[in-house]
Amino acid sequence: MTAQADIAPEKRANRLAATKMNNRMVSEYWESLFRAPEEGKLVCWYEGIQMNPILQAADIAWCHGEAMSALLAARREEGPAQEAAEQMGFDRELCSYARTHVGCAALTQQSTPDAISALPSDSPELKGLAARLPVPDMIISAYPFCSTGQQWDDILYRTFGKKVPIFNISMPWIWGNKKSAKYMSGPEYREAVAFMAKQLRECIAWIEEITGKPYDYDKLSEIMRYTKKAAELKLEAQALCKATPSPASFFEWTNSIAPVNFLPGDQKIVDYFDGMKSEIQERIDAGVGSVPQERYRLFWDGIMNWNKIGWLADKFAKYDACVVSGRYTHLAFWQEPQVIDLDDPIDGMAENFLSCPISISGPQVLDNVVKHCEDYAIDGLLLHGAHTCRAFSYPQFMLAEGVGKRLGMPVAMFEGDMVDESYYKDELVNSRVEAMLEQIDAKRKVAA
Amino acid sequence: MHPALEEFAAIAANPDGYARAWKQQTGGKVVGTFAMHFPAEIIHASGALPVLLQAHDEPISTGHASIYPFFCSYTRSMVDQNAKGHFDYVDMILFGDHCVQLLSAADIVRMQTPERQVGFYQLIPAISDNWSFENAERTLRRAIEGIEEELDVSISEDDLAASIRVFNRSRSLIRQLYDLRRAGKVSISSLEMQHIVKSSMVMDKARHSDMLEGLITDITSGDTDLAPGMPVFLSGHLCHAPKLSVLEMIEECGARVVDDDLYHGFRYVSTNASEKGDPVKALTSWYLDRNDVVPCPTRLDPEVDWDLWLLDRTKASGASGIVILMPKFCEPHYFFYPRIKKAFEDADFPLLLLETEHETMAGGNIRTRIESFVEMIKRGAGQKISA
Repeated sequence: MTAQADIAPEKRANRLAATKMNNRMVSEYWESLFRAPEEGKLVCWYEGIQMNPILQAADIAWCHGEAMSALLAARREEGPAQEAAEQMGFDRELCSYARTHVGCAALTQQSTPDAISALPSDSPELKGLAARLPVPDMIISAYPFCSTGQQWDDILYRTFGKKVPIFNISMPWIWGNKKSAKYMSGPEYREAVAFMAKQLRECIAWIEEITGKPYDYDKLSEIMRYTKKAAELKLEAQALCKATPSPASFFEWTNSIAPVNFLPGDQKIVDYFDGMKSEIQERIDAGVGSVPQERYRLFWDGIMNWNKIGWLADKFAKYDACVVSGRYTHLAFWQEPQVIDLDDPIDGMAENFLSCPISISGPQVLDNVVKHCEDYAIDGLLLHGAHTCRAFSYPQFMLAEGVGKRLGMPVAMFEGDMVDESYYKDELVNSRVEAMLEQIDAKRKVAA
Repeated sequence: MHPALEEFAAIAANPDGYARAWKQQTGGKVVGTFAMHFPAEIIHASGALPVLLQAHDEPISTGHASIYPFFCSYTRSMVDQNAKGHFDYVDMILFGDHCVQLLSAADIVRMQTPERQVGFYQLIPAISDNWSFENAERTLRRAIEGIEEELDVSISEDDLAASIRVFNRSRSLIRQLYDLRRAGKVSISSLEMQHIVKSSMVMDKARHSDMLEGLITDITSGDTDLAPGMPVFLSGHLCHAPKLSVLEMIEECGARVVDDDLYHGFRYVSTNASEKGDPVKALTSWYLDRNDVVPCPTRLDPEVDWDLWLLDRTKASGASGIVILMPKFCEPHYFFYPRIKKAFEDADFPLLLLETEHETMAGGNIRTRIESFVEMIKRGAGQKISA
């Protein structure tokens, strides 16, 4: 196995300084969430789409389940939550995000007896980061495509003894029954957007019932103004990475998901992407790349292996390979900010939720990935099959074939997971990636 | 074996063969559907033969080039069979469910064979929201439009009403068999019940019902020799039929299945649609109501508890224990299993969990566990969880 320490410093990934600010923002956010009950704030748990602006406008604190699981994995504290879930009887093959988050439910001090009874009260597991998560006052379920997401919320609701109110949003999957259906267009899509927007408005009415206050739509518009601006800056900064060498990598964009996924919509997230864009531009002007020597430009399909971000960034840098972009980082998280009308943002929010890369089905995903690979002059496609995320992994064989056919591009497929490290096999990744890079070299020789 | 049962068994063993022959004989269209809740009445009303696409026993091979091995055996089998051309007689595929693995497999099937229409009309999984009825009804109307367009037919309200009657008759007859079995008035093995239900998912329903009516008349006219064995309830397998070898093993090891909630069992026939009023509204209600009759973990209804329903139902059936058949990688089942286990533990009621897989089930191990389970119940050893 390649240890990070074995990689010479001059071969390691050249990280953007701006991402340090992200780490601070993320830490501040979690600390504020942990304090929320003391400050008299209601706490909402949710998964999937970005419900945080809607909650922020109602002054409700929020916990995004995947973000919590990813946090634990990134800090190597996922163990107790996952063990608690296993103790409750949840199978290891179940979505690791869900398992970890349900484990958090068990570890929070006040959860119902059926969740926590298996653990002794003085158990060290009860004292870790997972147990600091405040129990929810409300749950919103709004998961694109994945039934596991919706069921995860249902199981949380049951784990808390059906005492925490839950609001369910059923998200249509954009399939395209008519051949004329295209990305973000066609009658089926419009009908889905209308249904989604209606449910978001119903959800806001439900929030009003819970808080006992009229909802502040002006505040939502203000929050969405920051969010929209941050998303635009992010897309502009990403587009700058079409430069060679690429000034930033997929791993930095992975590190930058939080501001457009669950951090509060305010000036800080705008400043973050503004700073990132400036630094990227400076690198372009100076000819500095994200990896010391960029010989290969790669695309990453699949969710991140959260406990291996730094490790993987260095691994690819060692190969002189820059993972320039990815489906998760570049085609999601307010990926279509231009459709958000700040005077009435709900419809535009619905459109973003329904055009994310798991809300759309295979043919549209393939079209988007192919376009992206062309735009970023990609040499090879990495397909990270997250073992317990079927929603993200399922189209990867089609992508491998489709991208290969259309662009003649080599691919490397390997398994891993989002927050369960045990599914990752490093030697297998090495051999597959090395084989792909050799293929790229061979192709270049033939072309020369 | 009764001739009707023999024919049911033969069709259940070769559903594609039956549908191909039907197509050849009638010149009609065949529309395949995926499990679990799609109302095939709307296909039947078009004059086409609705065929629920079945998992195949043969090992997954070609399909592994298109789907990861960590998908459930039903979805892997669908992709595999499609890759091998097993479904080349199918003119159109329709489905409307919500399981992520099923949706994934359907998308792969669509991309494998783009020349055939795969229509997806998603029936809202949250069935108790204020907008559930309106949304499900709109979805069904869109699905009917899709069939009309693809098959170039027109479907009238009368056609739909007639198809509802045909399906209700089929479901009612199978439920009658369940009632008779629960009451100890007929002896039907779990294999035979699977043959009956599975063949009804494929066959011309009217003919299936005629044959079934004859079978019921014959088996209720004489004395019944009830098979011996410890009465058990079978639960699980929400999409595909459990392997016959597993069912056989359960009954060979001294258990006798008295009731079930299997998809290839009572779940499939649990609910009739109303024969009055607007047929699309009737099918909408059928879709939304059936979760109250037999809960499904892929439906979202906070008021319905599959675990507690299962406990009540198992006790009511006269079973002395429950055998859970859980397909590997079935996330809907995985999510609910801890609650089911706990409900039975709290009630001190015997439960045996058997995880099933497409190819790699260790028969000897399963046999030992079933034998031990039956033996422990006999000795009154109380609740036993075997995971």
